[in-house]
Amino acid sequence: MIATIAFGLLIVSLIIQIVYLFKKNGGQDRVSPWISLSAGILLLVEIVRRSIAIRFVALTGMFESLIFLACFLALLIFALRYFKSAKGNRVIPFGATIIALIFLALASSPLAPSEIKPPVPALQSGWLVLHVSFTFIGEVFFTVGFVSAILQLVTKNEEKRQSYDRVTYTSIAVGYPIFTAGALIFGAIWAEKAWGVWWSWDPKETWALITWLTYTAYLHLRLVRKSTSRLVPTLVIVGFAVAMFTFFGVNFLLKGLHSYA
Amino acid sequence: MKSSFDKIYDALRSIKLASVLLVLLALFAVAGGILPQGKTADFYQLHFPGAGSGIILALGLDHVFSSLLFLLVAAIFAVNLTVCTFHRLTGEFSKPRGKRRHGPDILHLGLIILMFGGILTARTRTETLINLRKGESADLPDGAKIVLVDLNYEQYPDGRPKSWESTVAIHKGVAAQGAPAATSGGLPRYHVKVNAPLRRKGYSIYQQSWHTEKQVVLKDAMGMSFALEPGMREATKDGFVLFMALDNPSLTTAAATSDTLPQSAVFLLEEHGKRTVVKVAPGQGIGPFIFDGYIDQSISGLAVVSDRGYPFVEAGFILVILGIFITYIRKLKGMLA
Ligand code: HEM
Repeated sequence: MIATIAFGLLIVSLIIQIVYLFKKNGGQDRVSPWISLSAGILLLVEIVRRSIAIRFVALTGMFESLIFLACFLALLIFALRYFKSAKGNRVIPFGATIIALIFLALASSPLAPSEIKPPVPALQSGWLVLHVSFTFIGEVFFTVGFVSAILQLVTKNEEKRQSYDRVTYTSIAVGYPIFTAGALIFGAIWAEKAWGVWWSWDPKETWALITWLTYTAYLHLRLVRKSTSRLVPTLVIVGFAVAMFTFFGVNFLLKGLHSYA
Repeated sequence: MKSSFDKIYDALRSIKLASVLLVLLALFAVAGGILPQGKTADFYQLHFPGAGSGIILALGLDHVFSSLLFLLVAAIFAVNLTVCTFHRLTGEFSKPRGKRRHGPDILHLGLIILMFGGILTARTRTETLINLRKGESADLPDGAKIVLVDLNYEQYPDGRPKSWESTVAIHKGVAAQGAPAATSGGLPRYHVKVNAPLRRKGYSIYQQSWHTEKQVVLKDAMGMSFALEPGMREATKDGFVLFMALDNPSLTTAAATSDTLPQSAVFLLEEHGKRTVVKVAPGQGIGPFIFDGYIDQSISGLAVVSDRGYPFVEAGFILVILGIFITYIRKLKGMLA
């Protein structure tokens, strides 16, 4: 129910943003970031409500993961106003809002059953909570990097391209440390505690590693390639695609230790 | 004029090489993430007919992460990372103090240690699985014995598992195989739970699995009953009775624990050197015994793991986290409005 209200709010925000996108030199609207913030807070309330019901952080199923992603993305869309390089940009919050809506739409699909279930023994771990939440927060920043990298590739205006490049890099520079800690390090620590093996090349681990290698390649290539390189932003787009495959594809298409999650 | 040594050195520390290798490693991982690993040659020929299976087998993509090609690329990458880290590090040290940026160095150093730990784990990690029923014992790597004192299984109301926990005692002395729990009397007790392994010097013990087994209960002429697990025998005057299996093994799973169906069991009976396989229903006789029914016996699956690489991995993790946050917190100052 709460998720549906958040969805409605984000739709309203999207419509307002579209109106402003078509306004010539209209600047950025003042309303939609606040709507986005409200949607984020509502989703946070939903996560807290579910957590209280199971007396554990409710972050263990597909539904809860999607709600969490949408929640933090909505909050980040609001926070973008405080990023020097993204301030005043209308297209990035617009793209990110669409992706937040996609996350929520997927959450309401039958692939993501929403009943509240307490965790099985393997999932009862503080490291798991850190692992999942850091990974998703990192991915929320990757989402903004993804939107900005696309814009960086399609824009013809050199000044805009440079400004998008800064947003892309800032997003990855924030998301990458969080993702590294969450997906790889906390994940490995949890695996060691739960199964006695910190790395086992199961498909989910392997795909998380591919995601990380892709962003690592981005960060290094950006140090040595010309600023007009198209390959550099392309790696950010590929990285996001791989991250999403790690999240959805591995659960539904490939099986492994993680397939219960 | 650069010497050829310098040229090789420059190539080995270049970020371009690092980027190419990172992408290559990612591509190997894609192959390992998509192709089923560790199957037989027939499997690949069946599922990837024609040239496909040939390429997979020739490149070792059926076991990507231990294939020669992958290990070669990983090794070059390790050299690249090491050379580059030390080159950068010495460069930083020649700068005045205030201008040094050590974030990436700490991070790269952490990765080198992590890789070392990974190699050690891959080469020396050992894992032994032991299945214990209550009261049973097994040997540990340091010569001590572990006794399963108790085991506890809790379920949520919907039937999903809530917790698996073994209580064990560990003692150094000699204890007979299958020693009863009583002999572990005054010893300290430890708990082993999923996500809470028991750490010992040099190894750790994990609650890895949990299953129940149906045992048959036999009654002798005196009316004393005893249980037999599958594969176990009981001596008789003329030979023995061995419990082989349940007649319908599919009922051994959780669904059968409700004990709704009286079910036959298969025994091997030896009398005066002559062996016969017989199917017996509950209530019927087998040799000198009466087959009285079943009991469910819980078995705790414990994994005893020794991994000398993991302490290096942990040290690597700490450096990586430290280095990465130092690197970006510096950069992010000034990115906020
Ligand atoms: C998996 C392996 C690696 C990881 C995770 C990693 C990670 C990083 C990160 C996060 C940065 C900061 C980039 C930025 O400025 O945004 C960095 C910088 C750098 N890395 Fe790596 N790296 C790896 C391997 C390598 C290798 C093999 C080389 C050798 C060529 C290398 C050379 C450098 C250099 C020269 C810098 C620039 C430092 C500076 O800004 O002064 N890295 N690395």
